[in-house]
Amino acid sequence: MNKQESPLLFLIVGRNEPLYSSEFISNQKPTSDSITRQHYFVMHSALDLVDKFAFTYPQMYLKTVDKVNHQMVSVFLTASHVKFMVLHSGKGDDVLKQFFMEVYELYVKLSMNPFYQFDTHITSKDFDDRVRVLGMRYLL
Amino acid sequence: MSKSANIAAAGHALWANTPKVNTELFALTYGSLITEILRDYDQDISEVNVQLERIGHSIGVRCVDELLAKSEVNGINIPMCRDLRETAEVIAKIGFRMFLGVNCDVGKLTDKSFSLYLSENPLNIFVELPSMSEDEGGSGPDWNQLKYSNIYCGVIRGALEQVNLKVECSFVRDVLRGDEVNEIRVNVKEVLAEGAGEDYHEE
Repeated sequence: MNKQESPLLFLIVGRNEPLYSSEFISNQKPTSDSITRQHYFVMHSALDLVDKFAFTYPQMYLKTVDKVNHQMVSVFLTASHVKFMVLHSGKGDDVLKQFFMEVYELYVKLSMNPFYQFDTHITSKDFDDRVRVLGMRYLL
Repeated sequence: MSKSANIAAAGHALWANTPKVNTELFALTYGSLITEILRDYDQDISEVNVQLERIGHSIGVRCVDELLAKSEVNGINIPMCRDLRETAEVIAKIGFRMFLGVNCDVGKLTDKSFSLYLSENPLNIFVELPSMSEDEGGSGPDWNQLKYSNIYCGVIRGALEQVNLKVECSFVRDVLRGDEVNEIRVNVKEVLAEGAGEDYHEE
């Protein structure tokens, strides 16, 4: 059974480490652990490419920075170098751009909270719920 | 009935004539104040609440003169309050309206106390109290105890002190903790005697 599973991984990466992650799986079958670890590995290896594009590309939305097998990494870079990364297999640029813009708005609102310190783990349940809704809407 | 309409109109007129500041700047400044105080007092929430109230008190003692002076200048006559209900109305409809631009309602009026309801609070527009994680247990501060807008209680207490009403003020409901509306309960402790202290009495 060669069903294209296309799990989607969304990561927010700060200066040193991931601050937030969520997975969007189209069918309800749970992925095995090794596949998910590989996803994180692909994302990690794409970080160097993000840094390469960071100072050359004029837009915040860096489109697709890396392609591994059939998986692509698309990145949105904020002004403070916080990276929003999506691991996907062939989503349209426009759809991803809209998704990133909406997540960016949520992130800005979160950062205005005096109790949220910049570059720390995002633990707000509200943020998590809203990102999941956006993910369901745009990425699946 | 027309008296309360006058009071509401006075509030709107005074708000129109006061200089404005950006809401976001205001909220962010207050947010940084809160985090600084938290840092100064080592995340001791009850101490932070006390400090906020004290800061509010210093602001409040200046507010009454400001309100009366501004209304004189603008030709608005605020009649002397004959009972607690009128005092509460002036605080809610003129005070909160003029200084913050928000709508405030009075309720639960008894002869020694009243409640003020704030549906919108410009101080907490971006705020979400940190959630307490289970593994932290008792070590983290209890964020539910933080009275984020406690400064209002201090302002009311300070202002009423200037007009010889000694009151106790506290937040009983707070939207940050999940209630639908902010409620401040004001209890009148005593009506202070007019005039200066003993030293100034004539022999």
